[in-house]
Amino acid sequence: MRSNAGVISVTIVALFLGVLAVTQIAAQDVYSRSLQLETPASLTTLIANLSERNNAIKDEILDLRHRTDTAREAIAGGKGSLTEAERQLSQLRVFAGMSATSGAGITVRVEGAFDERALSDLVNELRNAGAEAIAVNSVRVGPRSWFGATADRALTVDSVAVRGPWQVRAVGSPEVMYVAMTRTGGIIGQFQLIYKGTRFDVTRESALDLPALATPLR
Amino acid sequence: MTTAPSPERTRLTHSLVLLLPAVLFGLLVSVQWRTQAERNELTVRYNTPLLDAAKTLQNEQNALKVTLAELRADLDQIQTSASTQSDAAKDLQSRIDGLKTVAGLNERAGDGVEIILDDARGAAAAKDVEKSICHNTDLTDIVNQAWRGGAEAIAINDERIVGSSSIYCVGSTIMVNGTLMSPPFKVLVIGPQNELLATYDDPTQLRDIKQRRDIYGLGFRVSRATGLHLPPYRGALNVRFATPK
Repeated sequence: MRSNAGVISVTIVALFLGVLAVTQIAAQDVYSRSLQLETPASLTTLIANLSERNNAIKDEILDLRHRTDTAREAIAGGKGSLTEAERQLSQLRVFAGMSATSGAGITVRVEGAFDERALSDLVNELRNAGAEAIAVNSVRVGPRSWFGATADRALTVDSVAVRGPWQVRAVGSPEVMYVAMTRTGGIIGQFQLIYKGTRFDVTRESALDLPALATPLR
Repeated sequence: MTTAPSPERTRLTHSLVLLLPAVLFGLLVSVQWRTQAERNELTVRYNTPLLDAAKTLQNEQNALKVTLAELRADLDQIQTSASTQSDAAKDLQSRIDGLKTVAGLNERAGDGVEIILDDARGAAAAKDVEKSICHNTDLTDIVNQAWRGGAEAIAINDERIVGSSSIYCVGSTIMVNGTLMSPPFKVLVIGPQNELLATYDDPTQLRDIKQRRDIYGLGFRVSRATGLHLPPYRGALNVRFATPK
């Protein structure tokens, strides 16, 4: 009986040990992603990002409701819906990069060492800041554009060489994009630390003219 | 001739057998207790309302996208019926439909490749956490490579990639098209399979990701995929400053 009690005791303790060991190992996951582990500063930035996106969708919902009502009235009045169709076509031509485009925005000038991954990152940041149309030098960046490099260190956009110094022009809200690019800890600040000796200038523009995609999408 | 161990020796042996697991037990309980206490200390008092706000906004975004999709479908229906009224209207509608397809505003089906990107799991990851986890730049590199390989449509965890798409990182949270995401990331690419596989297999491409996969266990797999269905882009077009010439 006493030896049975001993065996049972050891078994129970061993069982607890096993459970605790597994729990502890699991708790030591090298990296755990969870919103709960974000700092208040990161959460505040996430909230600002989400808010901005949601407001843009709400604005578009309001706009679409208005356009739908207008289209219905026009059709009911025998006027057809060409106006709405032309408006939609105009919007889509810009969105798809299929037309030359003009508007206010910013220019980011890069003079010195730079590479295709940094260019890709810069375009990503401009898009996140609401850029509606982007061009690198005289080459329009489209929905399927990719960035590369040639053997002689020219950068490429959709296989077209773009040599430095580079002018990355973006049509969109000048103020929003300017602040996004130049804020402390933003991408231009990071580039200045990584590409020492390379000059980065960001300027607001009241009127930019961007070309259409060189090869239309199919 | 062997002699049986003395009762004292037997009791000592039994005690030692129980002592070791008891010490280990106590050690693990105390470490577990400390770890739990540290996690609670990390939850500062502002986190709870901020977390709630972030989750509420993401839920709101999901609902807004549904409304936006319904309104787009309504307007499309009105336009399509109206387009039968004249050749000019029909021609316009045809051009609109074509642009929506290339811009990523329509569903897309086809064959292509599937790429999985995930944080490393297991002992290899312990060498260097930074190198063993996914970053937003990994996703932008993967998307860049897909377009390079002739992709016609791309989606990351059901978010269609279009001309205004951004892949952003705040803290350890990644946002695609302004939508919160976490690994694993499933990147679906519709396009010419052989060309796409070749571009991902090219040893001179995506060297950083491949190196981190081999040394630090970063999850990165590319495979052929058939019968893919990609959703349309569900966000705002947001064309306010740009006008076509």
